[in-house]
Amino acid sequence: MIITKKRDFKELMENIKNYKSFFLLGCSECATLCGTGGEPELKAMKETLEAEGKSVTGTFVAKTGCQVLGTKVELKPFKEALDKTDCIIVMSCGAGTQSAVELYEDKPVFPANDSLFLGNMTRLQFFDERCSLCGKCILDKTGGICPITACPKGLLNGPCGGCKDGHCEISPDIKCAWVRIYERMKKLDRLQELCEVTLEAKDWSASQKPRTLVTREEKKK
Amino acid sequence: MSFREILNSGKFAVTAEVGPPKGTDIKEMIHHMELLKGKLDAVNVTDNQSAVMRICSIAVCKIAMEHGLEPILQMTCRDRNRIGLQSDLLGANILGIKNVLCMTGDHVSAGDHKGAKPVYDIESVQLLNAVDGLNKGKDMSGNDLKGATDFFQGAVVTPEANPIEPQLMKFEKKVRAGANFFQTQAIYDIEKFKEFMKHARKFPVKILAGFVVLKSAGMANFLNNNVPGIRVPQTLIDELKAAGKEKALDTGMNITARHIKQLRDEKICDGVHIMAIGMEDKVPMIMEKAGLI
Ligand code: SF4
Ligand code: SF4
Repeated sequence: MIITKKRDFKELMENIKNYKSFFLLGCSECATLCGTGGEPELKAMKETLEAEGKSVTGTFVAKTGCQVLGTKVELKPFKEALDKTDCIIVMSCGAGTQSAVELYEDKPVFPANDSLFLGNMTRLQFFDERCSLCGKCILDKTGGICPITACPKGLLNGPCGGCKDGHCEISPDIKCAWVRIYERMKKLDRLQELCEVTLEAKDWSASQKPRTLVTREEKKK
Repeated sequence: MSFREILNSGKFAVTAEVGPPKGTDIKEMIHHMELLKGKLDAVNVTDNQSAVMRICSIAVCKIAMEHGLEPILQMTCRDRNRIGLQSDLLGANILGIKNVLCMTGDHVSAGDHKGAKPVYDIESVQLLNAVDGLNKGKDMSGNDLKGATDFFQGAVVTPEANPIEPQLMKFEKKVRAGANFFQTQAIYDIEKFKEFMKHARKFPVKILAGFVVLKSAGMANFLNNNVPGIRVPQTLIDELKAAGKEKALDTGMNITARHIKQLRDEKICDGVHIMAIGMEDKVPMIMEKAGLI
């Protein structure tokens, strides 16, 4: 999921200081799990804004905020509240924020959250980055552990000289990704595979931005 | 004889390092170069060591040549993508730089520009492959070069890495990628180093053992606790302690000289690399004590 964190509230207040009324849009997926855009967070934001003398014309937690058309349909009943509002505050990720930008051309839209990374929730309120969306997965060659993400240098062929007692050069709190990969491949009896193959320089064109993908097959006329 | 010829002829090679300064005042650096001139087989020029921004290593390699030293260009993958690295390699080669040490490079978080974007487009193994390609007249995309390079390429290895197996896996990948020589992280335990050499001798590469002179027992403890891949045995720490504050540096130099002499006399490896880290002026004395000059 996309891991988000609340933006600094002072910064958000600075963004919206010239506006009086707001519509709050959350998301029931990642932002809800991260505690940044579910019902309780929208309610708290509404109360805070009202305490600051602002008015809130409506609030809604979209099913999937990054799904533009679905969100558009879901927001139809809120037409009046959305017409009335000066601007929209989106409490999901950067993608959800830009759904609102696409749907409401004439309204300013502000993000309430910082979008951090694609990660896994390892236990309640603990999130780890696991995949950098590089566009050409190599997990098949690295025992299912992603060195592009788990190693701060994204090394593809083994540990650097900074590995200290199995920990990463940049922090003793991070286990060296290459020690983890090596140990796992050893356990799986796949060491030979790991040692014999030198991975070539990665083709970063697979992650050239902005990326688009169409999976729908065009209907034959 | 060039550094390559010395290693290939089986002579015991001695290298040290020069760290480019931060800023354009190079008087002290040139003084160090003059002290080292005629004594070393080659001198490493570090590449923004510890991710601290300094003069680029190519420029300092050129100056080293002008002062009678054969340089080993250290090249890290931290600050340049594959276009920048290959372009700099071509540039270095036309300036007459023949030796290159391919490294990954310390992370920017260790340095003085912590907000910099670390590059690592490629890494040490792939950089060795790239140098091998340039030597054969091809760039990394397979395009023909108008004139190939003639680099003698090397890499680094940490014989005391913990755990050691992943480090040895990478060592072998570096050998396969065309590394001719290796300079090691500092070693202090000759018996343990012999074990590493038993493994390394299975491969057709030259090994130069790394040395960092111990200035005090405190420094030894610091290295043990903070520097990856360095392990100073307790016996040496005791030896430094027993020497007392005044004699500690002398003792540290004696330890280094003693180890170098043993490596050479017993033909354990192919040479040594002395990393002086601010004590460049002491290198000739250590070499003398070791019987190298
Ligand atoms: S290799 Fe690429 S796609 Fe696969 S997990 Fe890592 S970053 Fe994600
Ligand atoms: S210590 Fe391991 S995880 Fe950290 S940068 Fe080096 S190889 Fe990557």
